[in-house]
Parts: sequence; C-alpha cells; structure tokens
Amino acid sequence: MDLYPLYNSARIALISSVLVFFLGICLAYYVAKLPALIRGALDVLFTVPLVLPPTVVGYLLLRFIGPHRFIGAFFFENFDIRLTMTWWSTVFATTVVAFPLMYRTTRGAFQSFDRNIEDSARTLGLSDSFIFWRIRLPCCRAGITAGLVLAFARAMGEYGATSMISGYTPGVTATISTTVYNLWRTGSDDLALRWVLLNLGISAVVLLCLNVFESRGRKS
Amino acid sequence: MRKLKSTVVTALISGAVIAGCGEAQKSQQAEQSSAAPAVKQTVITVFAAASLTESLSEIGSAYEKKNPGVKVVFNFDSSGTLKRQIEEGAQSDIFISAAPKQMNELEKSGHIVNGSRFDFLENKVVLAVASGNPYTFNTFAELGTKLQNCKIPFAIGNSDVPVGQYSLKIFESLGLKPEELEKAGCLSYGSNVKEVTTQISEGMVSAGIVYATDAVSAGLTAVDTATEKLCGKVVYPAALTGGSSSDSEARKFLDYLGSTEARTVFEKIGFTVLKQ
Repeated sequence: MDLYPLYNSARIALISSVLVFFLGICLAYYVAKLPALIRGALDVLFTVPLVLPPTVVGYLLLRFIGPHRFIGAFFFENFDIRLTMTWWSTVFATTVVAFPLMYRTTRGAFQSFDRNIEDSARTLGLSDSFIFWRIRLPCCRAGITAGLVLAFARAMGEYGATSMISGYTPGVTATISTTVYNLWRTGSDDLALRWVLLNLGISAVVLLCLNVFESRGRKS
Repeated sequence: MRKLKSTVVTALISGAVIAGCGEAQKSQQAEQSSAAPAVKQTVITVFAAASLTESLSEIGSAYEKKNPGVKVVFNFDSSGTLKRQIEEGAQSDIFISAAPKQMNELEKSGHIVNGSRFDFLENKVVLAVASGNPYTFNTFAELGTKLQNCKIPFAIGNSDVPVGQYSLKIFESLGLKPEELEKAGCLSYGSNVKEVTTQISEGMVSAGIVYATDAVSAGLTAVDTATEKLCGKVVYPAALTGGSSSDSEARKFLDYLGSTEARTVFEKIGFTVLKQ
C-alpha cells in the first residue's frame, strides 16, 4: 500500500489548518467588534462554504484560479505559475471549506468570554495586544482548539472541490478521499477498504482529541 | 462554557452533515431514477457513457415529444462508474457502454437481458488540444518527447474509463510508461471523458486524449486521430439491463436509437451508427 495519499492529505490539512487558525481568529476578533449589520453580512459570507456543496466551492474557485480566469491568468501570465492541478492547489479548496468551522467556533468562544476580565485588565494598564494574547486567547483555548481540530478533520476529508481543482494524479495530487473513490471505481475494493479503515481510525482519533479538549475546557 | 460547548456541538454536527452530503448525492441520483412519479407515466432510465451526453439528451427529448407519457431519464458518467452502480443495484433499463469490457463484465454477472446486446456505435479516439494549440501537439507519435520534462500534466481518462483504457493502449503501443509519467507529475487521470475535455479547455492540462465526438462538442481541436492499430476499434455496445417493468418501453426506445432521426444526431457529431 502506497502511503503517499496519507502524507499528501496530512500536509494539505496541516497547511490549511495553520492558515485557517490565524485567519479564523483574526476575523472572529475583528468581526465581533463591527456594527450589527456588517457583522451579520460578514457572518453569512464567512460561513457560507459550510453549507455549500463542495462541488459549488470547486466551481467557484475554478472561476477565479483557473489558468484562463482572473487570478489564475494573472499568475500564469506574469509568473508562469499555474494555480490548478498541483498538490498545493488542494490547499485553496480545503482552506475555504474548513475556514467556517474555525471561524464559527472561535466566534462562539469569544462571545462567551467574560468582558469584565478584559476591562479589569485594562484598568491595570495592560496593552490591548497583551490582553488579546495572554488573557483572551488562553481563556478561549478550549473553543479555539476544538475549532482547529474540526477544521483539520474537514480539510483531511475534502473531496468535491479537491478533485475539481487538483484532479487525480497518483503520487502527486492524490489524497485519501480521491484515492478511495478511484480505488472503488477501478474495482480495487480490498485496497479501498484499507484506506477506509485508516480513515475511520483517523476520524476516531480526531473526535477523541475533541472530547479531551472539551472536557479540559470544562474543568478550567 | 456551556455556550461554548453548544457552539462546538453545532459546528461538529453541521460539519458532519455537510461532509456526508457529497456521498449522499450519488446514491440519491440512483434512487431518483427509480422513483416513478405518481401519474401514469413510463420512465425509461438510461445509463450511458459520458461521451453520449449531448447526442442522447437531444434524442431523448425528441422521443419524449413523440411519445407523451414516456419520460427518458439519463445517468451519464464513465462506463466504469455506471457498471459499478448497476452492480450495486442501481435501477437502470438500458446501458450503453463506451467499450465492450464493461458490458462483458455485466453480462458475466447476469445484469444484462439475454440476447438484447448489440454493437451500437463506433467512435474515434483523438489527441485533443485547446484552441490555438498552446503546447503545439501534432501527432500521437511525438507524445513521448512531448511528455518529457513537462510543465503541466497531460490528461487521459482513468483506467476504469473506456477512454482511459484506449489511451493506455496507445501509450503501450508507443512504448510509454504511465507510472513514470505519473511520478513526474506529467499525467493526470480524469474520472470521465467530460472531465478531461473541461480540463483541456480550461487550460488546466496541456492536452489530452478524448473521443472525436467529445472534441467536437467541447469545441476542442483534434490534431490527430488514433488508428485502429494504435488503440483498436472503439465500439459502443448497448443492452437492456431489465431494471423495471417498462421493459417493452425500453426496447422501443432502444429501437428508436437506430432510427434515421436518431442516426442524424449521432452522425452530426461524428459517431458511426453500426446497427439500424
């Protein structure tokens, strides 16, 4: 069994988790401070990939980053870089799809954060960045970690947009999900089953992590 | 903390639901075709190779107009996927495969109505490029040199897709090794022929191997046509798969596919109709 798809899926999920971690926290923090109307609109925009079918996400992404389209053409014509059909192209898809999970969960955590703590820190003359990094984030740690775990899991399992953006090249763009589909199609059920079991194992670990973080969060 | 927990749970549930949607869609498709509407309307479900999408859809709506009360429902995908779906119990009345292999396998496993199979259409396999031929592909013979040190992948169908099998046969005849090209990132596999044509026209791949008819319907340029020596004859067999009670209706539609009207549609985009 060639383990490349596991390696590829893992690195894609890791990269997009890192991106989603910072993006999610930043946007959750700033959006919460906006007036209600703008906040509502942005909430919809940032959450919509969660409810869209992955193929719609794939289609929309291709409309922008395809070599003949807008952003894709810019990179292609100026730098001779194609944003599609490489292993890292998948990161675009997984980041978009996983982002809402991180954003939503972090927003929720920030909302339940006790503002009095922040205010009292301010009366002690602490800077905003100190309050954010040393008080707010540690207080919301459980929620943020849960969001990150969910985002990682979602990125790991992305199929629809991935197959549209990166195609299927064994040993190059193959991920666990595209590999399972292609093994099923070619009638290699035994091998497909092995990947399915591996995937079930990974999911179990992810959910276990989530439980651990949650119970830890409850204790604090 | 309770609020936090509920957010996490909601997010988790929505995540799980959404992740499941992708797979649910597929099985839904198969279910939909079997769910006949309450009005007494005969539904004929046709599982056909993706390369027949344009021509069969046109013929299907013409047939519905001529036969009120009959609805022709199509499921277009690669013949390999369709074969798998029929094996897994999807309801289908007619199966038209882009190669004998899938039909042979279904015949062996008893999914084909005895004696209903016939060789229906013939197609050609071509080397297709986007308009302007940006990577200057000219012949199959030079594929070997063209695919060396590639910048972007070349697209063919997956090995379970007939067009992929024909492509691999061409690679074999030319002495090219797909595994080596894969490793170099020079070969990409589409899950059906339409995916390959879209990848070519979107400029995601340098060029690809598709059917002559798909090159026509996708507005691609066919720079070379594979000879019979290179990849064998491309024959589309058709058969009844005995999916429902509308067996006689399905038979009638199958007969209609050989009519002059249907023939014109098939020939317009480059098919040869083998049987009348």
